[in-house]
Amino acid sequence: MILIVNTTSDHSITDELKKQMKEKGTDAEIIETDALHISHCIGCNHCWLKTPGVCSVKDDYELILKKLIHAGQLWVISDTALGFLDHKGKNIYDRILPIATMYLKFVGNQMRHVLRYDNKTDLGIIYTGEPEREYLERWNERAALNFGSKSLGVFSSNEIKEAVSCMC
Amino acid sequence: MHVLIINGSPRVKKYSNTDKILGKFTAGMKENGTSFEQYEVSDRKQWDAMRKAFTENSDILIALPLYVECIPGLLMEFLETVSPKTDGSRISFILQSGFAEGIQLRCGEEYLKILAKKLGCIYKGTLVKGDNFGIRFIEGAQREKITDPYTQMGRVYAAEGGFDSEECRRFTGPEIFPAPVRLMVGLMFKTFAKKSFKKVAAAWGCTEALDYRPYE
Repeated sequence: MILIVNTTSDHSITDELKKQMKEKGTDAEIIETDALHISHCIGCNHCWLKTPGVCSVKDDYELILKKLIHAGQLWVISDTALGFLDHKGKNIYDRILPIATMYLKFVGNQMRHVLRYDNKTDLGIIYTGEPEREYLERWNERAALNFGSKSLGVFSSNEIKEAVSCMC
Repeated sequence: MHVLIINGSPRVKKYSNTDKILGKFTAGMKENGTSFEQYEVSDRKQWDAMRKAFTENSDILIALPLYVECIPGLLMEFLETVSPKTDGSRISFILQSGFAEGIQLRCGEEYLKILAKKLGCIYKGTLVKGDNFGIRFIEGAQREKITDPYTQMGRVYAAEGGFDSEECRRFTGPEIFPAPVRLMVGLMFKTFAKKSFKKVAAAWGCTEALDYRPYE
């Protein structure tokens, strides 16, 4: 399953995605977050040590989390700020934390958290605005390492066709 | 020198590892007469005052925990509301994380260089250090063993106005652990560390296994 989370208020991006995906025969579930309430991670560690796998922040992110653990791909559509994802886009990544456990191991020569679920979700970004793209690409690759997956790439909202070509 | 310090941790001050680090850091910083004012990004009631202080101060230090390889979403939300500076202000960062190796923080450090530029400030370096996860869970001498070294870094910052020195670079510790150390620490993860985490979880009232899968 492909999960697409649009944190912008611009539905024309998801409209274009739907169109392109239909042409390609790709199926995806799209969540528009402008009608939802999604807060930031508060770093309480409850999802690791008090209520394993469950976030203590009771908002609409749980809906995403429940779908995410069955998704092969997560695409975050985000506005950008200060050269990076804006806070709404970053919050989607920060709140993925419950899929990791408190337990640790080495993967290659670096520490990683042991993941809670067998499913691994690759991560892609579609952005608006002008981020430091090279950095964003590097960052998404690093972020994916933490979730035992890989980066699907980073695409501008003018590159929907290229992004859809990576959706399968 | 007077320094604006922003604790960029989304965790409330009482439980903030970054705050404990800043406590030690500022103790060293104050020794040569350097003064400071500190704000917490976790407290939205402080955001107006923090924004005003950002405009008025020329020496800025943001201390933050690494959140998924970069800055926490909440800190980004605050920074989106400040106006970039045009007065040659200087900005430095303290970047801390749970993972112990220096390599884990380099991607986040790279963004802080970009951030400095976007905020219109002169970048004066980042103090990079991992292995801080346990600060919240320990007290007394055990905690001070982790936090005390930041006092010397506070002295260096007060003297040099940044973290560009070799002493600050060395503070990070190893980029990666040598293979024998990884073997030993890996074994510790499976034994002692697991036991310790379970003990903390029990004290927090956890009734499930720590690898419980609630949504399957």
